[in-house]
Amino acid sequence: MHMSNAKVINKVLTANRLRNGETVYYTPAGEWVLYVSQARVATTQEEADELAKIGAAAYAANLVIDVAVIDVTPGAEKKPSHIRELIRATGPTVRADLNKPITPPKK
Amino acid sequence: MAVVDRAGPIADSWTRLADDQAPAAGATVIVSFARLKNEHNSLFSAAGKVGVEIAGDVKLEELEPFLPRLGLIVVRMNNMRDGRLFSIGRMLRENYKYAADMRAAGDLIPDQMLYLLRCGFTSFEVKDGFPIDSLRRSVAAYTHWYQRIANSATPVTELRHGAAHGGEP
Amino acid sequence: MYIYDKFDHAITSERVAEFSQQVTRRLAGELSEDQFRPLRLMNGLYLQLHAYMLRVAIPYGTLSTKQLRKLADIAKKYDRDYGHFTTRQNLQYNWIKLEQVPEILAELGSVEMHANQTSGNCIRNVTADQFAGVAGDEVEDPRIISEVIRQWSTFHPEFSFLPRKFKFAVTGAAKDRAAIQFHDIGIHIVKNDAGEIGYAVYVGGGMGRTPVVAPLIKPFVARHELLSYLEACLRVYNMHGRRDNIYKARIKILVRDLGPVEYARQVEEMWPLTRASGVDVPAAEVARIQAFFAPPVYETIKEPVAAFEESKKRDKAFANWVKNNVHPHKVPGYGAVTISLKPIGGIPGDASSAQMHQIADLSDKYSLGEVRVTHVQNLVLPNVKQADLFAVWQRLGEIGFAESNIGLITDIIACPGLDYCSLANARSIAIAQRLSEHFADVDRQHDIGSLQIKISGCINACGHHHAGHIGILGVDRAGQELYQLTLGGAGDETASIGTLIGPGFTSDDVVGAIDKVVETYRGLRQNAGETFIEAYRRVGPAPFKEALYGRR
Ligand code: SF4
Repeated sequence: MHMSNAKVINKVLTANRLRNGETVYYTPAGEWVLYVSQARVATTQEEADELAKIGAAAYAANLVIDVAVIDVTPGAEKKPSHIRELIRATGPTVRADLNKPITPPKK
Repeated sequence: MAVVDRAGPIADSWTRLADDQAPAAGATVIVSFARLKNEHNSLFSAAGKVGVEIAGDVKLEELEPFLPRLGLIVVRMNNMRDGRLFSIGRMLRENYKYAADMRAAGDLIPDQMLYLLRCGFTSFEVKDGFPIDSLRRSVAAYTHWYQRIANSATPVTELRHGAAHGGEP
Repeated sequence: MYIYDKFDHAITSERVAEFSQQVTRRLAGELSEDQFRPLRLMNGLYLQLHAYMLRVAIPYGTLSTKQLRKLADIAKKYDRDYGHFTTRQNLQYNWIKLEQVPEILAELGSVEMHANQTSGNCIRNVTADQFAGVAGDEVEDPRIISEVIRQWSTFHPEFSFLPRKFKFAVTGAAKDRAAIQFHDIGIHIVKNDAGEIGYAVYVGGGMGRTPVVAPLIKPFVARHELLSYLEACLRVYNMHGRRDNIYKARIKILVRDLGPVEYARQVEEMWPLTRASGVDVPAAEVARIQAFFAPPVYETIKEPVAAFEESKKRDKAFANWVKNNVHPHKVPGYGAVTISLKPIGGIPGDASSAQMHQIADLSDKYSLGEVRVTHVQNLVLPNVKQADLFAVWQRLGEIGFAESNIGLITDIIACPGLDYCSLANARSIAIAQRLSEHFADVDRQHDIGSLQIKISGCINACGHHHAGHIGILGVDRAGQELYQLTLGGAGDETASIGTLIGPGFTSDDVVGAIDKVVETYRGLRQNAGETFIEAYRRVGPAPFKEALYGRR
């Protein structure tokens, strides 16, 4: 198969937890976690569609709301591409004291 | 589909009549407003009881001549957020003095029914599996209201100052 | 202050119990998100970028110190130790958990507060003049009729599912500090020729995508008929307002489409019907509420107050603060202090729990235990003796809120914008901070004089940019934050809508652009007394356009 024609994509599934509103990301292990760097990445349209389906099911199961599949940068960091999603992932830019890292802090 | 009132499920004796369907003699039927306007004489003489279904864009002046003879008005909204229902109910009760059964239909949730009751509705058409416990709890959520409205309880103002001060009619 | 009786308490606690049920049913999956959303919104709960946001009503902007302390304690216990005062005299918490909301509402109820109808397509919190009861130019304290409206609109069965949200503002003064003509209904308390108090009713104002200055629909409604008149206004809207397009659903569009004359006619036609239903409150009820707003006991003080005058002479910074932040009081020897929640480089309208506590303490000591919230996102100590002003100012310095900038260029309104708001296109707060730092110099601020900058992060215009002398609107241009400028807006009794001046500026360029606008004004004003808005109204946009974009 030739990959050269397919558009390069990097997408992750995000939502807010129904119970407490936290911004969360969907991991390869099927969990919803706080840090975007731990998210499962879709690199093909089929994988992205699959994420959207998982999101819809989690919404229907009343686990999360505001479900979206968003673009992230390639590589390990998985930084959300759009500024809105970047702020969602890391916290208000005007309150550094309340910011959240992209990767979980080391214990 | 089921019909409920504030206490829970009720028996529904009304049948819905398609516009090309003739009423059986003495039947209890719900017809469209268009049909009522065109065929009211024959309908009222053939059927036992006549009800009508209206929508949010109804002109109540057009409905007015039939009100004394109607046994049911169904007000249908396709969206639970369409609040025209509430104004229509109040006007029918307070201004047009309509006294028979008034039924709200559409995608309603139990929490809205309290307000609908306060605006003069008496029954609701709901989907099967409608949460009856929630309905019973919802309609009993409040003991007092600030507003004097349709058929709701004595407003707080009157409780505070006595009936003599309860506002002008 | 209005004090709840057993009925108010019962209604408030029954509401908490009801919402608690609704949350349980939502978490159990009995209610879907679509069904739950209108219910949570009517309890002030949004989902924002980072979490749920809870908007607490501060009816007509009046708070007791007990209530302010409760707001502080809730911020500490359930949120991240701060709150945000908004342009609608509400307080917002940004990091709320759905599961805890019933508990928070119960805490609010314990101090006679609530979050009822602070969102949703219903009648929202009634706002009023922050100097209610202390301003000299007042016909009547607007809080009396505002409380009447608050009760009437609370859980109104007919008007809880309107086409769109519905906002009231009331002023009792000649000078409009409540921006009434930018509300769905603005009420101006007036006296008729017979000396009776009544209400001039403006309908169909608003900001958002289609800014409109509300037309006068009825010059005089008698006090005992106001509620039935308002019900008629609302019912015409509920029946005929548009529900097919969210951007055309506000009452301003209905009034515009029908024309004010035809709308007024339909309301008149409806009025006998609402009057007949007996909704109007009896005089005894108005009198009962009025008694709660009786003026406090003031001391008899002779002006000038020597110590106060001396402090002003001695300390220029204090004199500046008095000039800008202290409003004349109707009682001699007193002043109404506006506490600036706009420290240089700070977040407009934010206060920490500790600061809220400190302000409550200050008010108990010096302002008869009352605090007001202004639509410009500041707080007010309404009853401070002139002799105490110096001490209050010093204490505010320690709290971090002594900036003497009320009405000046750094007294910026900014909505939460992209830092918090899920609808935003661009950041607002960050721009406000940089502008504030750029214009920090006190002497320069005073030289520039009265100038209101208002910033919204999207076309919803929560930051009132249309009504700013300089308005800033954040837009999204291909993923980049871009800022458009409007000039010439005003939210007072000379209400006007700002004009878009030209293409937008990047985040890097917007501060420089505002500086150019300001310098252009300084260059063309006729004298130091001609304010920015006066000068703009005299010369129009041309010189500013030229300064920003060059000759075309
Ligand atoms: S104006 Fe827009 S960005 Fe600002 S608070 Fe309102 S909705 Fe959010």
